Amino acid sequence: MQQFDGLAPHVTDDTRLRQIVAASADGMIVVDREGRVCFLNPAAANILGRRAEDLMDQIFGYPVLGGERAEIDLLHPDGQHSVGEMRVVDTEWEGAPAQLVSLRDITEHRRANQALRDAEAFNWAILNSLSVHLAVLDARGTIIAVNSAWIEFSRANGDLDLQRTGVGVNYFTICEHAHGRWSDEVNEVLEGMRAVLEGRSPTYELEYPCHSPQEERWFVMRVVPLRGQRPGLVISHTNVTVQRQMARAASEATMLRERLATLERELVDVERMAQQENSVPRRISATPLRQRNSGAFGTAVATYHELLDIALMRQRGIPDASPERGLRALSDTLGFQAATPRDIVEIHLAGVRSAGIGAPPIKQQAYLEEGRLMVLELMGYLAGHYRGRALGRMGDVDDGSTEPA
Amino acid sequence: MEKIVLHLFIAGRTVRAERAIATLRRICEHELANYECELNIVDVLAEPQQAEVRRILATPTLIKEVPPPARRIIGDLGGDPHELLAALNLPPNP
Repeated sequence: MQQFDGLAPHVTDDTRLRQIVAASADGMIVVDREGRVCFLNPAAANILGRRAEDLMDQIFGYPVLGGERAEIDLLHPDGQHSVGEMRVVDTEWEGAPAQLVSLRDITEHRRANQALRDAEAFNWAILNSLSVHLAVLDARGTIIAVNSAWIEFSRANGDLDLQRTGVGVNYFTICEHAHGRWSDEVNEVLEGMRAVLEGRSPTYELEYPCHSPQEERWFVMRVVPLRGQRPGLVISHTNVTVQRQMARAASEATMLRERLATLERELVDVERMAQQENSVPRRISATPLRQRNSGAFGTAVATYHELLDIALMRQRGIPDASPERGLRALSDTLGFQAATPRDIVEIHLAGVRSAGIGAPPIKQQAYLEEGRLMVLELMGYLAGHYRGRALGRMGDVDDGSTEPA
Repeated sequence: MEKIVLHLFIAGRTVRAERAIATLRRICEHELANYECELNIVDVLAEPQQAEVRRILATPTLIKEVPPPARRIIGDLGGDPHELLAALNLPPNP
């Protein structure tokens, strides 16, 4: 405990010193060895919520502190409480050892601190409620904060103790040492982050695959500047696999709708030309191909089945696997058999059924998906076949220069 | 020596209060282990009249009336246990 003799009676200008103490905003109490109040200033009486004359010569208590300062609860006569910070130094009072206790009301300070802690806890609760993986970087790229989703993802992907992706790790260094698929994009990502950090770019975004052994996953990395006084970045990784799958399905549906509309227009054109030139034998095609030539129908179904298998090989990325030529040949064969769109649909259904027999469900689904595209393609080629024949006939009538489409 | 009776006044079970209680219990079990020691905890939030009667100005406050002389300590009661015993005018274990 420090030695303090500023209030000892031997001080020459005692009156002036007492005036200074009286004007102090901090409460000052001198207590003797029994803890009895020998002196107190107005601020001390105010902090204790009592009159100075009621406190003089009363037992306040002998101060015992573990450290330099201690927090105590101050009890006011009206039942209210406040928090005080107490400091103590040894002194002398009228020739006897005494303690000088200084008191400061820190109730507001404590309330403000608590409010700050509550606000911070609230902010973290919000960040931790987000499914987006968030990390905050300082200006040098060091991770200074991460949310729960970031931690969970890191742990689920092998970084159990967050040695590679946790707070304190430099994110720029992680990117520089990335390998595999990421290695191609590292420089772009680093440049994107630095551009945002230096204010050359407002944000940076990158969509990237991050497939696990079990599932296909796509993420979007977004980088935005840290708003506030400290320079830094907020990095987020959002799982967009579902959105990407939905977008792909929507795009496929749009493409199919467009192709169907085109085919319908082509068939209408062919129909019109055929009526004008009588080039397509409509009389025979009124009867389904399956009934009028079951052999040709069966052969077409078998060919379609084979072409479905080739389409599946193409989907698996096997080079040179393309059903296109086979479909063109099949459309010509069917065209000379005067096949109609209804015959094509029957061949498609029989082909998919035949291919699906004995196949596992996932392969059956693949046949269905590939078949949906293939049947449209076949119809397109058939329409082209008829149009070519119609135009050829028309060319004969005109000058013979028109080539079939 | 006759029984030592201590009254510790606290205001709710705060961290400060729990720390003071732990310190006193430790002293009763070690430094005063050879004496019969009674420790009464008084929560002034639950018993405000006790604070009024004893004219408690702040908590934690520790009062020792038995054995005389009566002593009153204020603060977190931390630090050297012998300093606290000296303030209470209690001798350590013989």
